[in-house]
Amino acid sequence: MAHAVEHEYTTTGLNHRKMLMWVFLGSDCLFFGSLIATYMVYRGQSLVGPYPIDIIDIPLTTISTFVLLMSSFAMVRALAATQADDKKGTVNWLLITAGLGAIFIGFQIYEFNTFKNEGLTLGGNLFGATFYTLTGFHGAHVTLGIVWLVAAAILGAKGRLHSGTALDVELLGLYWHFVDIVWIVIFTLLYLIGGFDAGPTAIPSG
Amino acid sequence: MAAITGVIPRPTSYAGIWGWMTTVDHKRIAILYGVTAFIFMLIAGLEAGVIRMQLASADSNLVGPGRYNQMFTMHATTMVFMVIMPLSVSFFNFVIPLAIGARDVAFPRLNALSYWIFLFGGILMHMSFVVNQVPDAGWFSYANLSDKPFSLDRGLDYWAISLLVMGASSVAGALNFTVTIINMRAPGMTLMRMPVFVWMTLITSLLLVLAFPVITVGLLELVMDRNFGTHFFIPTEGGDPVLWQHLFWVFGHPEVYILILPAMGVVSEVLPTFSRKPLFGYPFIVFSGIVIGIMGWAVWSHHMFTVGLGPVANSVFTITTMLIAVPTGVKIFNWIGTLWKGSIEFTTAMMFALGFVALFIVGGLSGVSHAVSPSDFQQQDTYYIVAHIHYVLFGGSMFGLFAGAYYWWPKITGRMLNESLGRLHFWLTFIGMNLTFFPMHFLGLNGMPRRIYTYSSEFGWENLNALASLGYIVLFIAFLVFIHNIMYSRRSRRVTHDPWDAPGVEWTIASPPPPYNFAEIPQIQGRDHYWIVKENAIAAGTPITEPEALVDPSSIHMPSPSYWPLFTAIGVALIGGGLLSHYALSFVGGIITMMGVIGWGNEPVAAPSDHH
Amino acid sequence: MGLSPYRRLKSLPMQSSSNFNQPKRRSVNLKNRLVQLGLMSVLFLLVAGCSKDGQSTWEAFGPVAQKQLDLFNVLLWVMVAVFIIVEGVLVYAIVRYRRRPGDAKPPQIHGNTSLEIILTIIPTILVLALGIWSVFTLFAIDKAPEDGPDPLQVNVTGHQWWFEFEYPDAGDGKKIITANEMRIPVDRPINISLESDDVIHSFWVPKLAGKLDMVPTHVNKMWFQADSDKITEDLPVTLYGQCAELCGLSHALMRFRVTVMEQNDFDSWVAAYGAPPAISDKAKAGQQLFAANCTLCHNIDGPDDPALSASRLTGFFSGGDITPVPAPNLTDLRTRQTLGAGITDLTEDNLHSWIRNPEDFKPGNYMSERAVLYQNGPASLTDDEIDSLIGYLLDLR
Ligand code: HEA
Ligand code: HEA
Ligand code: HEC
Ligand code: CUA
Ligand SMILES: [Cu+2]
Repeated sequence: MAHAVEHEYTTTGLNHRKMLMWVFLGSDCLFFGSLIATYMVYRGQSLVGPYPIDIIDIPLTTISTFVLLMSSFAMVRALAATQADDKKGTVNWLLITAGLGAIFIGFQIYEFNTFKNEGLTLGGNLFGATFYTLTGFHGAHVTLGIVWLVAAAILGAKGRLHSGTALDVELLGLYWHFVDIVWIVIFTLLYLIGGFDAGPTAIPSG
Repeated sequence: MAAITGVIPRPTSYAGIWGWMTTVDHKRIAILYGVTAFIFMLIAGLEAGVIRMQLASADSNLVGPGRYNQMFTMHATTMVFMVIMPLSVSFFNFVIPLAIGARDVAFPRLNALSYWIFLFGGILMHMSFVVNQVPDAGWFSYANLSDKPFSLDRGLDYWAISLLVMGASSVAGALNFTVTIINMRAPGMTLMRMPVFVWMTLITSLLLVLAFPVITVGLLELVMDRNFGTHFFIPTEGGDPVLWQHLFWVFGHPEVYILILPAMGVVSEVLPTFSRKPLFGYPFIVFSGIVIGIMGWAVWSHHMFTVGLGPVANSVFTITTMLIAVPTGVKIFNWIGTLWKGSIEFTTAMMFALGFVALFIVGGLSGVSHAVSPSDFQQQDTYYIVAHIHYVLFGGSMFGLFAGAYYWWPKITGRMLNESLGRLHFWLTFIGMNLTFFPMHFLGLNGMPRRIYTYSSEFGWENLNALASLGYIVLFIAFLVFIHNIMYSRRSRRVTHDPWDAPGVEWTIASPPPPYNFAEIPQIQGRDHYWIVKENAIAAGTPITEPEALVDPSSIHMPSPSYWPLFTAIGVALIGGGLLSHYALSFVGGIITMMGVIGWGNEPVAAPSDHH
Repeated sequence: MGLSPYRRLKSLPMQSSSNFNQPKRRSVNLKNRLVQLGLMSVLFLLVAGCSKDGQSTWEAFGPVAQKQLDLFNVLLWVMVAVFIIVEGVLVYAIVRYRRRPGDAKPPQIHGNTSLEIILTIIPTILVLALGIWSVFTLFAIDKAPEDGPDPLQVNVTGHQWWFEFEYPDAGDGKKIITANEMRIPVDRPINISLESDDVIHSFWVPKLAGKLDMVPTHVNKMWFQADSDKITEDLPVTLYGQCAELCGLSHALMRFRVTVMEQNDFDSWVAAYGAPPAISDKAKAGQQLFAANCTLCHNIDGPDDPALSASRLTGFFSGGDITPVPAPNLTDLRTRQTLGAGITDLTEDNLHSWIRNPEDFKPGNYMSERAVLYQNGPASLTDDEIDSLIGYLLDLR
């Protein structure tokens, strides 16, 4: 990617792209924050089922959460490998990260499919709408990350990732860890806390 | 894919239409933004004309309610998202790199991408006129009026999707300016030496970055409700229309500061220059800007006093909102302090800046009176609010931007705007503006609700409305004068690099600046850099009369033009357009966007020949 | 006396302005004259622009509106004072420090911290004082005082584009449903519950209280009262109200009236409500036409049948071309003053034109949108038929 700007002077000493990524992630926090807020506002407000308690499968999602967490670990290794000019390690760890991400997405597809079969649809009730929107946008973030990981792995295989360009991997890592952390929040709120919600807890009013 | 995208030759020409389409030069992008926004301004101004002509008399039949609702919706949406914001961005683009002593923004191609996406978003929004399914639910499109089954044509889809597209552009632009300002300051340009305009840009950018995701979520939910069967805002299915209001105003209030802070920044540059005095209380102006940026997040429900949130919530938001008057007051007092004991020269730029201060006080004070929730129960959704809106947005933002236009015009074009025409423009605008909007205070207090396409003569609102419509005509003439001035300026005299004896770094270089801006990155001497430099030169007996010398551009490493921003933006526009017509088109758009990103990633920032 | 809409011919000057009418003349200095002129024109504008006509907020007929107006009046004069001081200093600076030929470079002052602090503290105190007063007012007007007279409950429902008023117990347990004209007894708190059947509307009677939104699925509560000692006219007095939230095409035409009357007049209206009138021959024909064409949506001779209302609502949401929608209860139409949600006087002519084609009065209204009668534009009725309908609806006093 952009090599020419790598070593240029910056006021703070922080690289431009790194700062861009940090600010972007700040922005993304509010994006997920608003989606989560919508979910919380509509918690227990669905007029018809299925309700979370009917379908949420915490053990299954615990596994996929664990997989995603492990992918963050792999990501750390990938960066370390890049910084150590370990080409093979870089490619392998990037692919492992992508693979674990893909397994997570696989779980999500399976989950969505099961939920759909049990009657949870986007338009069926508010739980469906908020659940699919929130986890769907998270899944989209993960998918984007996987594409980016694979692209990086290809670059790595071509020998374009090394200690000099480790920043490319570092940015990817920042993004990946962020998406991972967001999932932990989602898992806690939607599954561990909200997973036992039944029908309307309150009449929508005032 | 990389191979395919590699064969397209790299654009090299800076000239002609291709030069503009592939440009990554912040100064050219500034001009693109400026011209586009100005055209949108004329459109939105004409829409205001329809509003004013319809309301000029009671029981008027010029346009029906349908058309009228479309007019104020598009008027406001255009003015806010396609005029004030991009005009501000235009100034960010032109001024920021120059003012901090940089050669360009941090991400020149991203900058170009922002512009093209904005342009296509704006066009997409106006396509609604072509298919005659125009948004008509007001600029904040309260659900569930904006939702199915009450809004069945595609107008609101155009509205929501275009705003999503333009939002992407704004966020990309804001990210860019945040990084540029934090990271690309010339040596010596410490934070507390940054010109206030730069500070306000930074705060605005951070507000944008944080506020837009919130409205993005709201818009996505609205689009899903309207197209994919969800019920986020549909009460019969358990949804709550009030959630939309929260999402909108959590964004919306920071947004109004996004609209005013750039103008405040401009004014903070213009006032000292033409008073020949440094800005009074610089740190207070800066910190009050920061405080406004933070407090702006804690007041959103003052737009929702009448929604029925209860006296406790209303109390909280009353107090927080009123407190915002304090940092704003600090700014006003410091501007007056800058004038105090100064030597005030009445250039057009200065007159607009003074007009800004005078009119913004009026708008701010009416704002404080809305903040008092018990009396806002009477005023909410009346013309009293419309008066406030226009005093802060027209008297504020617009005047500030006009001041900026007159101030930086010579730097941008190398030619002067005519000062006599400028003065005429100012007085017509000032008088027309007060004639149009001052009566609206009374209309509102006399009970005239906003967003009504007609009213009956028994309410006694006719005279004041006629006055307001008359004011519009004065404003119309004022705009014609301004347009004439712009045309005329192409033939006016060339200026030196520093026509105003200004303090900013941007005035050290030629007008218009060379593509590389600074032959050598300057070493910043202090807050009013160029004043210090000039002072020292005079003291040394060698007064400065010439700009920094020009050098051979090829000796300076600059980013090369690129097709990819435009290409990628077309993809993004197609995604949006496809959602409004055929999903297949979105798919194509997605592929184009992806190709764009890949091509972009594979393209070195500068053409190989430029390496040295 | 008849129920004439409340209208004032001339605008009254604001009382509080009298203190400012005669600024003292100190010197004939041009600058002072200019300042005086400026002040006078501001005050003149303030006085000239305010009227108490129609639905003006400058006149309060009840405690809620009065508290809001009191607060606003103080606020206004505080703001005018701040305006005059700040703009005054600004204009002074502009005039005094304008550049004159041969001016030297002015002193380079960078700031003054103690001044800044003072100028931060003063506005803070000012806004906090106003803010705290607002909070007290907010709670003071939140609920009707409990030691006062027995409150009357009215449930108001917003519809595109008319208001429905339901009195669950208007007196002696009698339930009343009417539309677009609300009657209230004077000197008695009115507790109001607001709801909406479709989109968000807002309920606003400026002379009685500020507005409150009508949000679907939310029940918002407010109260107001009309005080006999605040109303200068003879009762009954009719006040203007209007929907204040954009609610679609005919938002501008969604108005209503509130008639303030003595308790015994109110009681006789309640007693007369729904009493079967003697039906003339002409009206008999009208009655049949009404049953054939109108009862799909409209109710007459008593409060709505809940089952019928529910079916109208579902009809409304399910769309379709010819489905019932909620419509104004016409039982007491003959006692009303206005037609079409307060947009025009209720006269035979107007009613004739309304039944002929409501679209002429109110673009997009759901009567002409959904009734079979108006499928091809104006009603497929002869003038005589319409007249007999009017006979049925009106002639029976
Ligand atoms: C540029 C945009 C801009 C700016 C800067 C502001 C600034 C402020 N606004 Fe405004 N506002 C809008 C744009 C803006 N607003 C728009 C577009 C709407 C309508 C949206 C819609 O419904 O369509 C709106 C609506 C709006 C409402 C909702 C009204 C309603 O719908 O019922 C409220 C309520 O509190 C409000 C308050 C304020 C306040 C307190 C400020 C303060 O920041 C003002 C502070 C400034 C001053 C106070 C003046 C200077 C200070 C002094 C001279 C010091 C001394 C002063 C005192 C001691 C008081 N605004
Ligand atoms: C930046 C924001 C901005 C600006 C600049 C303006 C500018 C103007 N506005 Fe606007 N307005 C809003 C933001 C703005 N407005 C908002 C947010 C609302 C609320 C909307 C809502 O309720 O949803 C609103 C609502 C609003 C209303 C209330 C509508 C209603 O509630 O029913 C009115 C009524 O008079 C009005 C009038 C005007 C007028 C007369 C101008 C004038 O200043 C315009 C001056 C412009 C011109 C005079 C143009 C001149 C054009 C030419 C010279 C063209 C020449 C042609 C060619 C060369 C081809 N505006
Ligand atoms: C499909 C439903 C429907 C039918 C059928 C219908 N109306 Fe209506 N009517 C309405 C609605 C809805 C309104 C309220 C319109 C508005 O103000 O927006 C209304 C309003 C009125 C009003 C004005 C009420 C007021 O308080 O101002 C009158 C009078 C009236 N209708 C008479 C009739 C007559 C007579 C007929 C039959 C010939 C009829 N309507 C048939 C739905 C209907
Ligand atoms: Cu109902 Cu506006
Ligand atoms: Cu606000």
